[in-house]
Amino acid sequence: MFEMNKRKLSIILLGVLCLGFSACELEVEPTDSYDQETFWYGAKTAKAGLTGCYAGLKDNAGPLYGNASVLWEECASPNAYNYDNRLGWNSIALGTHTADISVVTNRWKSAYTGIGRCNLLLANMDKNRELSPDEIVQMKAQARFLRALYYQVLITYYDKVPFITDAPAVDQGTLARTDRAEIVSFLITELNEVAGILPVRYTASTDQGRATRGAALALKARLLLYEASPLFNTANDGEKWKQAADAAKAVMDLGQYSLYASYRGLFSQTAENSTESIFNVEFMDEPNMGSSLDITLRQFNNAAPLRDLIDAYWMLDGKPRAVSIYQNASDYENLDPRFKQTIVYPGATFMGETVKTDGTNVNFKVIQTGYTFKKYTIYDAGAASAYDAALGEYRSPINYMVLRYADILLMYAEAKNELGELTEDVWNSTIKVIRQRAGFTAATALNYPGNDATVLQQHIRYERRIEFAGEGYYYNDIRRWKIAETVLNGPIKKFDGTTIINRTFNPNRDYWWPVPSTQIEQNPNLRPNNPGWGN
Amino acid sequence: MISNGTICKQQLIVVMRYSAILLFFIGIHLGALCAIRAEAQSLSNTRVSVHAKKSNLKDIFKSVESQSVFAFVFNDGKIFNDAQISIDYEGSLRMLLDKLKERSPIHYEQNGGNIIVTYQAQQPAATLTGSVTDIQGQPLPGARITVKELNRSTAVDQQGHFRLTLPAGTYTVEAHFISYQTDSRRGVSFAAGENKSLAFTLQQVVDSLDEIVVVGYRSQTKATLTGAVSTINMETKANEPLTHASQALYGSTGIWVNQAGAKPGNDGTTIRIRGVNTLSGNNPLVLLDGVEYSLSEIDPADIASISVLKDAAAAIYGSKSSNGVILVTSKKGQAGKSKIEFSSRTGFQEATYLPDVVSDPILYMQMRNAAERNSGKQTVTYSADQINEYREGMAIDPSVYPATNWFDIVLDQGMIQQHNVRVTGGNQQVNYTAGLGYMNQAGVFIDNDDAKRYSFDLKVSAQVTDRLKISGAITGNLRKYNEVGYGTGTVMNTLMRALPIFSDYHRNNMYGSTWLYTPGRNNVENPRMEVEQGFTKRDYQEFLSSLTLDYKLPFGMKYNGIFGYRKVDHWSKDFLPEMYTVNPKTGDRKIFNSNAPRLKDWDAYNAQYSISHRLTWEKLFADKHQVHVMLGQDYQVNDNRNFQAYNYGFYDNSLQELNALKDQTNAQATGGSTLDKLASFYSRLAYTFDEKYLFESTFRMDGSSRFAPGNQWGFFPSVLAGWVISKENFFHSRQINLLKLRASVGRLGNQAVAIGSYNSQVIIDNAYNYSFGGTISGGAAVNALNDRNIKWESTLSYNAGIDLEAFQQRLSVTADYFYKRTFDILRPVVIASQVGGLAGPTLNLGKVDNKGYEIDVNYRDHIGQVDYGINGSVTYVKNKVVDIAGQQQISGRYIIKEGYSINSYYLYQADGFYQSQAEIDQASAVYGTRSKLRSGYVKYVNTNNDGYIDDQDKIITGSSIPSYMFGFGAHVGYKNVVLQAQFQGVADVDVYPTANLAFPFNNGAGVTYEWARDSWAESNPDSKYPILTTATDAPENFINSTQWLQDASYIRMKNIQLGYNFPQSITKKLHISKLMVYVSGENLLTFSKFKMWDPEMTTTKGDLYEYPNLKAYTAGINLVF
Repeated sequence: MFEMNKRKLSIILLGVLCLGFSACELEVEPTDSYDQETFWYGAKTAKAGLTGCYAGLKDNAGPLYGNASVLWEECASPNAYNYDNRLGWNSIALGTHTADISVVTNRWKSAYTGIGRCNLLLANMDKNRELSPDEIVQMKAQARFLRALYYQVLITYYDKVPFITDAPAVDQGTLARTDRAEIVSFLITELNEVAGILPVRYTASTDQGRATRGAALALKARLLLYEASPLFNTANDGEKWKQAADAAKAVMDLGQYSLYASYRGLFSQTAENSTESIFNVEFMDEPNMGSSLDITLRQFNNAAPLRDLIDAYWMLDGKPRAVSIYQNASDYENLDPRFKQTIVYPGATFMGETVKTDGTNVNFKVIQTGYTFKKYTIYDAGAASAYDAALGEYRSPINYMVLRYADILLMYAEAKNELGELTEDVWNSTIKVIRQRAGFTAATALNYPGNDATVLQQHIRYERRIEFAGEGYYYNDIRRWKIAETVLNGPIKKFDGTTIINRTFNPNRDYWWPVPSTQIEQNPNLRPNNPGWGN
Repeated sequence: MISNGTICKQQLIVVMRYSAILLFFIGIHLGALCAIRAEAQSLSNTRVSVHAKKSNLKDIFKSVESQSVFAFVFNDGKIFNDAQISIDYEGSLRMLLDKLKERSPIHYEQNGGNIIVTYQAQQPAATLTGSVTDIQGQPLPGARITVKELNRSTAVDQQGHFRLTLPAGTYTVEAHFISYQTDSRRGVSFAAGENKSLAFTLQQVVDSLDEIVVVGYRSQTKATLTGAVSTINMETKANEPLTHASQALYGSTGIWVNQAGAKPGNDGTTIRIRGVNTLSGNNPLVLLDGVEYSLSEIDPADIASISVLKDAAAAIYGSKSSNGVILVTSKKGQAGKSKIEFSSRTGFQEATYLPDVVSDPILYMQMRNAAERNSGKQTVTYSADQINEYREGMAIDPSVYPATNWFDIVLDQGMIQQHNVRVTGGNQQVNYTAGLGYMNQAGVFIDNDDAKRYSFDLKVSAQVTDRLKISGAITGNLRKYNEVGYGTGTVMNTLMRALPIFSDYHRNNMYGSTWLYTPGRNNVENPRMEVEQGFTKRDYQEFLSSLTLDYKLPFGMKYNGIFGYRKVDHWSKDFLPEMYTVNPKTGDRKIFNSNAPRLKDWDAYNAQYSISHRLTWEKLFADKHQVHVMLGQDYQVNDNRNFQAYNYGFYDNSLQELNALKDQTNAQATGGSTLDKLASFYSRLAYTFDEKYLFESTFRMDGSSRFAPGNQWGFFPSVLAGWVISKENFFHSRQINLLKLRASVGRLGNQAVAIGSYNSQVIIDNAYNYSFGGTISGGAAVNALNDRNIKWESTLSYNAGIDLEAFQQRLSVTADYFYKRTFDILRPVVIASQVGGLAGPTLNLGKVDNKGYEIDVNYRDHIGQVDYGINGSVTYVKNKVVDIAGQQQISGRYIIKEGYSINSYYLYQADGFYQSQAEIDQASAVYGTRSKLRSGYVKYVNTNNDGYIDDQDKIITGSSIPSYMFGFGAHVGYKNVVLQAQFQGVADVDVYPTANLAFPFNNGAGVTYEWARDSWAESNPDSKYPILTTATDAPENFINSTQWLQDASYIRMKNIQLGYNFPQSITKKLHISKLMVYVSGENLLTFSKFKMWDPEMTTTKGDLYEYPNLKAYTAGINLVF
């Protein structure tokens, strides 16, 4: 009996041993992520890859267009004040920033993140086995547009940057910076090419927001306008203004765009993808799908308009207060109609409350300067619903227009003026229509002021500041016009004229952002840094 | 002699025993009370009356027996039967006996309830009597007394007494007992008829040489050990209120244990064995009885011992061994009488360190204003009117004008209790043990901070046939804890951000905010609200079931198989209700949180299947040649899955279930799974010659699914050798009991690389989604580069050690020198963002060296009945990056660079503060913008003198890894009382805390008093801190610089305890074999330069938002039946 048991046991043991020794199978197929090789074969996956290229624009962590970036950028200009130094924006305004502040580091990184995604798509898209050749070309054109946009951001702030058009690879990490001119020339070629491929309009509602022919041409116009401007155009090459004017005209000549009827309404959900919007970043009220503009303006108040901006608004007759027939009007009356459509000011009604400067408003605070922006918010004079009044970060739904038609019109006017060609016709088709839409009716505000380029430049610069107030355009305008040292040196003031702090601007250093020091640490070939930022 | 009374007594004891068990479960320690009765009986206060006429002694004794609880012990004999004694006596028994002694040649002696009466010879030879006890005064029955010259010996009786009659003379008398030190007395001389009494007190020899140490896949005696192994006998930790098994490792040589935050239920420590080998993945492998397990899920009370393999001895565990291996051996069944053990303790805990925050609202406001002015601002936050109003209002309405110390409000003491019971028993065929444990711990937050642990285990071992033994074990642990709804980190952040001007008003679920506006504080976070409202409930269940087969094969071979199944289930429920703050002045109510009430359920399921087979052949040839051969094979699969669901929009706070909300508009779900497989083959060949020359060699091959085919297999050999010099013939020393040299070399592996690291992955995530025309389009992106060719990281480990035991093992010394070189380090590298903004790939990168030594010294002895011991250990380890292909890896404040320690700090060099405007104006280079700087701002060194202070001026300094770990302690015992204390500490380690309370007024937070006392002013030029500025407005002062690097070395009294062992005279009557009570204190004293927070924090953490460390005061009882 025992013998039998023993034999049985031996057999069992042997069996167990064999089982053990054979169980060395080590293959594991991941089921939670795609393999990079096969990912591009399918139609849906490749399209998701393209979506990822767009998503870089709205990234919460990346200071491109997501979060409240455009508002904080406004704070680096004389328009607004960022009291809590978010991402280092206030340091930039004060001229005390360093090469390691968050926005300098992360804008660089975010732009390259977008570039990397586009490059990866472009390198792999031809492997697709399901889409038609035409679809593939269209998708690649969108990615090429986005890549151009990301590069345009980079060269606008950092000047020379490493120029990479291949799929990401470790050895790109040591590449040095490429001259801006070389990058610009590539981008112009790219944008011309994709303009020939991309559609003028998308018909499907679920394609709204994708890159169009107009977007490519408008981006090219902005690129060329910047290249023509004093900061970029160090050789003062007049030909560049002509290219800029032509590029803007090309957008106008598409015949696709017009100004939206209501200025305030343009920055609301109703006007999304209107005929004025050329390219926008799409937001919606879903987790991580929105911007943070509402909570920033309502609660944080860390992009607070300055008295300087309020004082910059002209009066209803299209003249500065000092020379206006309304010069004795009370503080916030008889101003450019865009004022009340842009700014929340003491005594106004906002979110159902009278605006108070002592921080006792329940739903919002304007304690920093006495003002906040209401452009691009879901709020207005009326009380907000409980849901809207508590809308959190990354939930603001209104699309942000990176390029809008009014911008194109003013680009054209500016380039024409620099060329000495801002005729009445040009005026009427650009500045006049913008002012009409803003609500001006006075002839003194609407009519051509004559062909004095200096006067016209004053009008153009006024228009750019006021029309785009709160949209994050002005910081780059004062840079490219090289007027930052004039407008960014001095005290900034609250609504009642009290000084908050003094700003400084070092023209030998502060026109260009430094290459982030973290990047130089990773890649010493990025040296030398921009002038004034070390070796 | 056995009377009815005795039987009653026994019954009573039985009843008392069960009562004691019952009482235990309700947590009241009354057991000790039962002991008092018997002790009260003494000869002096026992009253007897004797009226005898010419009676013999025997009858007199019988009469006395009937009147008292005492029994007489004597030999029937002439004297007892024949003596004619008349006595009329009433009084104490002692007096009676003394009277009888005068009248007859007898001698008496009380022993408990017995009175031993002896006849003293008329012609007396010398008599030696005496006792043998241990140093606690417990008798040692079975010990022997030897008179060397006569070669006569006698055994010691149950009461610890002995008696010898001797001829007159001078002798050497020795008392000896197994595993006790022999006590000998020379020159004891006896005159004829002389009676002498000798009391021997023997000290137990912890015979460390015969101690069994569990090492890789086998056990060895300490004497034959060739590896560097630290062992922890959990009996020595029995009275410490360990809430996490890893806390038992404190003070062990070569091991850095760092408890950063002692959150109840989640108080695991970081364990680093002999430094930090590699750049990521530094956790040691933990096995419970041979199966991989988590230290978090082992009740410390269930552990018998822990071995830590620190050198090439770990190589037998191959690919997971390079960070050391921790082998936990649980308590097992034992043949013998059933034994029931209880232990129970209760006490309270409180935070060790809390920041010294300014809680005076007026001072706070003045300081904030001053800081803003010092930062260049021309308008300040609090107006003079507001401050005046506040000052006047404080006396009238403290809810509108509060002076709130939030640490006092939301932190309090927490109770802790732990109860364990274990039954062990069995016979030669079957033995068992079963244990049950319960812990209930309340944390220091006033609400939503508590933990419970229920642990149980059952182990049965059966000798099925002569050849087959089957053992089964099931170990289960349920850890339930409740955490504040927003999570500990967030709430600690809130607490460190709270201001004294915030009102602690709380009524009807509304919590006070403030009527004063403070920049950054738009939505006031009331700490009490965040503690009280909402919760996170977690249930962490884990069980391990294993089946072990031991089978004796022919030719002396043995098969051992372990089949383990480990199941982990982690579940949590987060609930956050809608919260409201109220302005204490205006009464305006404000909703605090959006998307509420919200709920999140999460479940993670992990299953681990493991099979381990071994064939062992062991044989002793010619009584000298011991050969051991082992072949083994393991296979392990880890299957991890998790799932999470979220929803919000309940109407109110009463419903807390996902299915209570049918509206799925806001619902979110996520989940995932990973599979991880490891296959291994290993073998060992060991040869020992005469226990003098020790030799061992192992090899292991591991294959892991974490690498791509082709790179899956790694080979890990080792060689260990030992030479026991003290066994050599030429070695003659009576003082040295053991002298052994050890050496080992081996290759250890590390597979601590994220699953799928070699795969090129495209990730789907909502961050990559985008909406087109208001419709969400699913996105995907690559977020990291990868290297398909990554392979095993390995460590070459060298160790040389010496073991010394001397002075009859009173002194033991272990010293080791070690050198480890880790190469092919698996490291996710940081690459320049220009490469698609991607995380760098995990690469096999470079080499790191760890060199160091460990010394451990123990001495124990006794002076009379005073037993004492001291111990001390120190470990030094320094690591150095030897090669990373000339690159440097910088991430934030840390750098990895050749020639420096892993994660050295990389900082601007601060050089005090500017003392004047002239100094600023004349500086050749400044950091930031010169016009912004003021006197009292931090001055930085332009180390390369290039006219710019930029990243090139950063210096490499300090380390987040301590170079020295040390521990020391002492115990002293007298009779039944033991006092002991253990200290522990680390040195040469730095921390870099930033943000709230580390920096002043950070993002709207408050400030510590230190800034009021010691910040720069013209009158205080040598201050500790720069001029008071806000962290937001003067970032120049708060960049990563040496100014804020702080030395976090510390020495801490880890444990102090005072215990009392009830003497056997008492316990025996209760039929208890051991009864001990004690009081214990943990972390009561800490000495450190770092005062802001407990220095034992996560050394790489950039802020202070950790749960506090705790000090504990406990009292407890241990009872063994």
